[in-house]
Amino acid sequence: MTKIWTVAELALREVVRRRGVLLILLVFPLAFYASRRDDHAGQSIRFVCLGLSWALSTAALFAGSAARGIEPRLRLSGYRAHHLHLGRLLALWTVGAALSVPYFLLVRFDQDDVRYGAIALIMALTVATAVPFGLALSAILPRELEGTLVLLIVVGLQMVLDPADTAARALPFWFSREIGTYAIDHTDSGYLARGLVHGVVLTLTLTTLVATASGIRLRQRRHLSFE
Amino acid sequence: MLRQLAGCATFFAVDQERRGQWLRGVLDLCVLALLHRRESYGYELAQSLDASGIGPIQGGTLYPVLLRLQRTGLVSAQWREGASGPARKYYRITPAGADTLRRTAVDWDAFARGVETVLREVQTR
Amino acid sequence: MNSDGWLRALAAELHRHGLDPDLARHVVAESATHLRDSGESPLQVFGPPSTYASAVAESVGAPRHTAGVGTARVDAPARAPQTAGPVRLEVRGITKRYRRRPVLAGVDLTVRAGEIAAVVGANGAGKSTFLRICAGLLSPDSGRVRVHGTLGYCPQSGGTADFLHPEEHFVLVGAGRGLNRTQARAAGRAHAAALDWEPAGRTQARHLSGGTRQKLNLVMAALGEPDVLLLDEPYQGFDRGTYLDFWQQLWRWRGDGRAIVVVTHLLNQLDRVDTVLDLTPAREMSA
Repeated sequence: MTKIWTVAELALREVVRRRGVLLILLVFPLAFYASRRDDHAGQSIRFVCLGLSWALSTAALFAGSAARGIEPRLRLSGYRAHHLHLGRLLALWTVGAALSVPYFLLVRFDQDDVRYGAIALIMALTVATAVPFGLALSAILPRELEGTLVLLIVVGLQMVLDPADTAARALPFWFSREIGTYAIDHTDSGYLARGLVHGVVLTLTLTTLVATASGIRLRQRRHLSFE
Repeated sequence: MLRQLAGCATFFAVDQERRGQWLRGVLDLCVLALLHRRESYGYELAQSLDASGIGPIQGGTLYPVLLRLQRTGLVSAQWREGASGPARKYYRITPAGADTLRRTAVDWDAFARGVETVLREVQTR
Repeated sequence: MNSDGWLRALAAELHRHGLDPDLARHVVAESATHLRDSGESPLQVFGPPSTYASAVAESVGAPRHTAGVGTARVDAPARAPQTAGPVRLEVRGITKRYRRRPVLAGVDLTVRAGEIAAVVGANGAGKSTFLRICAGLLSPDSGRVRVHGTLGYCPQSGGTADFLHPEEHFVLVGAGRGLNRTQARAAGRAHAAALDWEPAGRTQARHLSGGTRQKLNLVMAALGEPDVLLLDEPYQGFDRGTYLDFWQQLWRWRGDGRAIVVVTHLLNQLDRVDTVLDLTPAREMSA
């Protein structure tokens, strides 16, 4: 447990010291929100949630890539693969939670006639999924640039595709649109249930993917034995 | 003692290298002699040596000599606040040092007198 | 050079000569007092720090480790004939190809506790590849590596976290080795001191100079006192003094019974190690 906490604490310090990136992360969803606030109140809520997911997965992508150099030697220094990825997940989830609180308060006091509880749920699921999504991308793609492009495409598609479209369900942040409809347009609870299941399944899948990728990359190789 | 120093003082006109060789032979003796008067510290010793005509002795030459004297037990050293200024490392001659100085001073005296006798013939000719 | 710089350099040189720390402190303090009293320049009064340190070391009868100025050769301390202990690292029949070009062909190496093995060879001869295979960061096409004990690895570059301070690196690596924070910081500082480096302070790793970052890398590898140390040209960016410190440290570790593998291309160290593994391919050797 000490090992996970140590990794989490130091990963958190690393993220917090990237002041420029943090500032962009904080301002970016706000720009999304402000862009649609005047013409369509509901749309601005949907946009801020997507902005948050994009910002967080980008942060996770960069954190994951930055850790690539040091993780193999930490593995040699007595850490197991799960210490490393769990610690990093914890740190980034903490950052995500801290980042989303001001946005929830913004919606809470700037918007009327919205199901606030459902908005809070969207944000919680956004934090839960965006972090392993970014880390998974960093594990699979060789460089940050490719990862950033993939993220751009995913979030772009998420904005333009109609959530009712079956293909849209394959996108990672579909739950955000689905629960958003429930919260803003006051539709039936089927939307809520479908979104919730999608978000939870996605979180579990992505977290498993991160664990597997890190386990493979940091495996004990067969030719080497310790006695 | 003073005669030794006066002897040293007559050397001032010689070239640097020879003077360096002479110094190597007698510097520790001169230092012991100065410390026999009273305890002192490095910079003051350097000034005294200069004032007595032995010439400017740089710290790079003096302190290794002091360290060697300390290691061989001929002087003892102590860090102390001076009457004014910062703490300094004061050197004091030990009984063993005084003994060595006495014996070697006699030897030097004989040696220097021999050299002097021979050289005086050249000077007075 | 101003007085402070000269005094610092003197302290480093005295340390390098293996002078007792208390005595070295006294010598530096005494020189400082003299400079203050005389108001002259240190170079005029004492000469270059290395020369003065040699004179001091000779006067007090300290063991001499370094040779003359201007040569990077280091004299290894004389060692007792039977200090080598049990086998710590066994490498058997390592083969590795990149594309279809063979890089390593059936390489063997045995290193015992209290031994230094040097890995040499031309650029591209596979020195780093060999070390990465030994550390388990890369799989060979065939062959086995057996480690008796724990492993520390220092890469040629990278391997540090850009946004963390040196002491945070110690804590991070230390936790993996089972050290608590205080122990990890103390151990890190002790290893750093041997390389003449004072790591306290809040400089992020990305702002450290290349040589200092390599010191950090080396300290991270040594933290937790692993039985086997794999060092991949860890001295890049070191100045001459630090380079000498580095070899002193290697011999200290050897004296402590560590097994060390070090990649080097500086051939004048080779008679100071116990084993030399030359990875230069046979056809190039005859060329």
